[in-house]
Amino acid sequence: MLICETYIVATTLADAFAAMARYGSRGRVVAGCTDTLPWAREGRAGDVEIEALIDVSKIPELNVREVRGDTVRIGAATPVQRFLDDTALVAAMPAMPRCAVWFADDQIRAQATVGGNIVNASPAADVTPGLLAHEAQVELARAEGDRIVRRRVALADFVQGPGRTGLGEGELVTAVECDALHGYGGAFEKVGHRRSLVISTVCLAVLVRLDASGRSVADARLAIAGIAPTPQRLRDVEAALRGAPLAIETLELVADMPLALVASRTRQEYRRDVVRAFMTRGLINAAKRAGADPAVLSGELEAAYA
Amino acid sequence: MPDFAFTATVNGRKVRRTAQPYQRLLDFLRDDLNLTGAKEGCGAGECGTCSVFVDGVLMKSCLLPVAKAQGATIESVEALARTGELSVLQKAFHKAGASQCGYCIPGMVMAATAALRANPFAGREEIKERLGGNICRCTGYQKIVDAVELARDVQNGHVSAHALDEVFAPEGDFIGRNIRRIDAPSKVSGRLKYAGDMTMPGMLHVQVLRSPHPHARIVSIDTSAALAMEGVEGVVTSADVPGQDGFGVFVHDQPVMARDKVRYVGEAIGAVAAEDLLTAKRAAAAIKVEYELLPAVFDPESAMRAGAPVLHDYAPDNVTKHIPIRVGDVDAAFAGCDLVIEENYETQPIEHAYLEPEAGLAYVDHDDVVTVHSPSQNITHHRHMLARIIGQPIAKVRFIMSPVGGGFGGKEDMIYQGMLALLAMKTRRPVRLVFTREESIVSTAKRHPSRTTLRMGLMADGRIVASHLTMICDGGAYGLSTEGVMRKAAILGAGPYAIPNVRVDTYGIYTNNTPSGAFRSFGALQTQFATETHLDICAERLGLDPFEIRRINAMRDGATTHTKQTLGKVSLTRVLDAAEKGSGWEAGAPTSRGATRTDLGRADTRPPVALGARFEGEAKQEAAE
Repeated sequence: MLICETYIVATTLADAFAAMARYGSRGRVVAGCTDTLPWAREGRAGDVEIEALIDVSKIPELNVREVRGDTVRIGAATPVQRFLDDTALVAAMPAMPRCAVWFADDQIRAQATVGGNIVNASPAADVTPGLLAHEAQVELARAEGDRIVRRRVALADFVQGPGRTGLGEGELVTAVECDALHGYGGAFEKVGHRRSLVISTVCLAVLVRLDASGRSVADARLAIAGIAPTPQRLRDVEAALRGAPLAIETLELVADMPLALVASRTRQEYRRDVVRAFMTRGLINAAKRAGADPAVLSGELEAAYA
Repeated sequence: MPDFAFTATVNGRKVRRTAQPYQRLLDFLRDDLNLTGAKEGCGAGECGTCSVFVDGVLMKSCLLPVAKAQGATIESVEALARTGELSVLQKAFHKAGASQCGYCIPGMVMAATAALRANPFAGREEIKERLGGNICRCTGYQKIVDAVELARDVQNGHVSAHALDEVFAPEGDFIGRNIRRIDAPSKVSGRLKYAGDMTMPGMLHVQVLRSPHPHARIVSIDTSAALAMEGVEGVVTSADVPGQDGFGVFVHDQPVMARDKVRYVGEAIGAVAAEDLLTAKRAAAAIKVEYELLPAVFDPESAMRAGAPVLHDYAPDNVTKHIPIRVGDVDAAFAGCDLVIEENYETQPIEHAYLEPEAGLAYVDHDDVVTVHSPSQNITHHRHMLARIIGQPIAKVRFIMSPVGGGFGGKEDMIYQGMLALLAMKTRRPVRLVFTREESIVSTAKRHPSRTTLRMGLMADGRIVASHLTMICDGGAYGLSTEGVMRKAAILGAGPYAIPNVRVDTYGIYTNNTPSGAFRSFGALQTQFATETHLDICAERLGLDPFEIRRINAMRDGATTHTKQTLGKVSLTRVLDAAEKGSGWEAGAPTSRGATRTDLGRADTRPPVALGARFEGEAKQEAAE
């Protein structure tokens, strides 16, 4: 049970920083609360008594969603469900609807926030690999006197380990800025113990853009989670795919490349099997959605790998 | 603690109340508005029994601080049948027989409502995915999904609304017919009150202090700090038991609360009744217990060895129950067999995980009758035990069975009703205890974990000549149903097969693990898992079809069982025929698998688990447009 003496719903960043300054370690910042409430239960933190919960989810700036040119800006308090129902986001981030559908369940997605998922820094965070593939930058803000000071950190550097981030004292994540990847095909492959409400054993985000012929890869973005202390971007795979033909040989070549990254505490052999299968399946699914030439992406290829 | 003014529109009505900053929307709906259709199955967002609409979006109200819903429009399950007439979906749940224990059903109806609001044309796969956040333990989901499909088709006009009507069975001809459950309307509407939904004027809230140690002597218990707290009305420990302490389905070896020592992690030590839950929690934490740790034993075979820690003085060998069965001469029979196979089998402890955590409400009525409402699967036995425990004549004890939100055997044990009765007697006020999910898992019975050694002797033609089965079960710290489970395991262990020589020994053993108890099939699962798996291995070795080896050995009408019961009719061969036909069985020895199966993506593989039926639906819709 999470017992607080006061629940502060901040409506501006300044409000939030004032409350954070007032309560310091006697307060806790919350957004969607979908992880905080289960945390304060037997077996995890147990009953927690805290002076103040500071809810930042209603701050308008943290709820901005904007696609402008090559950049997508997503406020930190954006519920994960928006990746499924905001058409501008869907167009600019084609793997994210596939990711979101695997995220918790329809109900928790409506509440859980993008910023919360990042700050939790779970090795199996579902949103993080998708954002990594978009070259996401995390925007952080803190108060200096009456001034609000902001800085930006690459998401890849921000997430440092299980539960560890580069979030500084008195700082809030306000937004993430991502590359808009219009015209890419997106895929998200995930496995856990069941379909809904499950922590990823492995999850993989794949984005593929094809050349005009629909027969070779113009650009690819991949990131993986669940296999190491932090989610990982697969840049070597991306480099190998750029310009390569859509063919079994290409898939075979890249499928094994991330295997060396598998460094989980348990079930490494299983995870390597999964990674290999996800690489081929994810690439085929993404290429298909990117408009691959059906002659290249034959039924045979799909039957063997997807 | 600063309360705050909370306003919202709840089920069409303006609501203004003083709320606590730590309340969840679920607490507010249930405790302040008495809208108990939303349940707490887990408190951690995993089960969906608490689903409600907030500004039109379905959410899990156990994860939502009430302050987040300030000014919101909230719809709970009670909104769906506000006029008294059930919604189409609720009628479909009734028609399809989708409600069993009913505890998940209000949340399930809400999730289904949300699914059809999101996509009135959702296909079966998409329905399943959209209901993925809601757990049911009774139905296996098929009837629930059937109900949602039926409602969808009625709503879309694809099926007449008459499809929701009851079909009356001819009098006396009910088998195989769709007979409607009379309790379904109360469940699909959220009106049914489970024990945790009940309140009484002046009711106190109970919290339990539990042991952090698996085996320890209780040196002292000091309840003075807890009792001194404002709002605390009573604290009880084993010292408050006026009669003969001890309950259990067979042997009454478990005190209402730990007496002199604790025997497992999670065992109740003391209980507090207070004006509110938070005070009760703080008071329970303020009970001081001094322990002297004792060596503990966690493995039943270790517990059987000489010198092992002893849990109960009455059982110095830690054996709760040993059931032996002897038929013929097993050793002599093995000598004459063509094939003798010995294997070991293990099964694990399993939690029942009924959606309704244990709950009870007790009071002493105007005639001094100690009255306990609880979802007990064994109220008459509880009544007799409690009368002895509190030293009262049976006429002064009353048990009322509240709706059981799933039991599966796990609610046969009087694990908390005694504490409630003592607190009601001590405070002379109604008292209510509602377990958390974690409390339910840590403190109540599990399926017996087992280790079985099975040696079977057969002739080359497949006849079983001898079966020697030894099973050792971890019964945990207390007896509960162990004796009966061991008996059933032994009686049914050799299976429904005519075997001339049988030796069975089942042992239930005390350890410092969570007690094991009743669970669907009651011991038969463990031994039959061994026997049936073993028969498949034997079939493979003998080159026989697994169905065939079972037919060769099947008991027939008039058979005498290993415990000398004569059976009039034996349905085994008919069951085998039906299973063989229904499963599309490939005849032959079980030496290969899947070569001709058509339900697989390709030989010996299944298609990967996928999510995203809603995208397929969208693609189809776009194609159609």
